[in-house]
Amino acid sequence: MENNSKSFSFDGLLRQNIVLMSGLVTAPIIVACTTMKRALVLVISFFLISYVSMLICRVIPRKIAYTFRILFLVIAAAGLYIPTVLLLQKLFPAETSSVMLYIELMTVNLLLLAKTESRFYLIPYGKMAAEALVYIAGYALAAFAVGFIRELLAYGTLFDLKLFGAVLPAARSPFFGFVLVGLLAAACRAFIGSRKES
Amino acid sequence: MAEVFARMVSLAMISIFTQNAIFDRAFGINVAIYASRKTSHIIGFTVAITLMTTFASAAAYPFDLMLLPSENGYLYMPLIYVGIVGVLYLLGLFALWGFFPKTYYKVNKYAHLAIFNCTVFGALFLNYNFGKGFAGYVGYGFGTGIGFFLACFLLNIAHERLNNDKIPRAFRGYPIMLVFIGIISLAFNVLVGYTAEF
Repeated sequence: MENNSKSFSFDGLLRQNIVLMSGLVTAPIIVACTTMKRALVLVISFFLISYVSMLICRVIPRKIAYTFRILFLVIAAAGLYIPTVLLLQKLFPAETSSVMLYIELMTVNLLLLAKTESRFYLIPYGKMAAEALVYIAGYALAAFAVGFIRELLAYGTLFDLKLFGAVLPAARSPFFGFVLVGLLAAACRAFIGSRKES
Repeated sequence: MAEVFARMVSLAMISIFTQNAIFDRAFGINVAIYASRKTSHIIGFTVAITLMTTFASAAAYPFDLMLLPSENGYLYMPLIYVGIVGVLYLLGLFALWGFFPKTYYKVNKYAHLAIFNCTVFGALFLNYNFGKGFAGYVGYGFGTGIGFFLACFLLNIAHERLNNDKIPRAFRGYPIMLVFIGIISLAFNVLVGYTAEF
C-alpha cells in the first residue's frame, strides 16, 4: 500500500505528476494543447469531469465487484460531460469546439480508472478529495507548460496577445507534442533525481 | 457486395496508416507503451481492442444516424458509447468466465484497461466523420485495432534498444518512448502528406 492515511501527499504535483511522470491522460496535451486558452479549456473539463466523478463514485461500496465499479465511474463521467460542455461552450466557444474530441475522451481517462482503484479507494474521503485536487493541479501544471511553449513557438502569442512572429509553426503538430512532452518528462525526472541526491 | 468490401478495406487502411490512433492522435498511448513491453500483452490487448472497436462501431452506427444529425445529439454520445462498450465488456467477461475460466481470472484485472481507453472510444467518436455507412464503420473500427497493433509492434522493437545504459537516466523509459513516437509520428505524417484535424 502507498502512503498511509495520516500523512497528506503533494506527490501528485510533480513526483507523481500524472502527465509527466505516470503518462496518464496525455493525449489531450500532446495533440490538442497548442495554446494557453486550449490548455485552460482542457484543465477545466478535466477538473469538472474527473474530479466530480471521483467524488461521486468514491461512495460506492468496495463490496460491489470491481467490474461494475469501473462502469459506474465511466457512466458518471459521461453524465458530467453534458453540463461541462454546455458551460465551456458559453465561456470559450471557439476553443471548446476545436478540442471537443479530447473533452469527450476525458470520460475514459486513466486517472479515473487506475488511480481511483489503486490509491483513492484506500484513503479517507476528505484526504482523497484533497489529494485528487493536487493531482489535477499537477495536470494543470503540465498543460499550461506545454500550451505556453507551443503558443509562443507556433503563433508568437500568449493568450492571443501578439508578442512576435511565429518562430516554429510546426510546434502545433502532434509530433512536436510528443517530443515536447518527452523532453518535459525527462526534465521533471532529472529535477526530482537531483533533489533526491541533494 | 464488392463495393461494400472495398469501402471496408479502404476505411481500414485509412485508420491503420493515415489516421493511426497512436501516431496521429495519441489515443491510448500509455496503454500502447504498457502493452508493447511483452509480446503476450501486445496480442492480448490487440485482440481485445480490435474486437471491441469492430463490434462497438457496428452497434454505434444506428445511434449515430439517429442522434448526431440533431442539434444537441452530440451531448449524449459519450453516455451512449459508454453504454454500448459497457454491455459488450460485460458480455465478453461473462463469455470468458463461462468458456475459458482460467483466461478470465488472468485478464479480469486488466480487461478494463484494454476496453475503456481512448483507442476504443476515439474510434467511436471519429466514425461519424470518416466511417460513411455501416461497412465504413466496421472497416474503420477494425482498422483502428490493427493500427494499435502496428504501433505496439514498432514500440516493442524500439523498447529493448531504447532502454539501455547509453540513454541518459532521465530519458529512460517513458520520456524516450515519447520522443521515439514523435519521430515515427512525423514519418507517418510526411509519408501521407496529411495534417490531423481534430
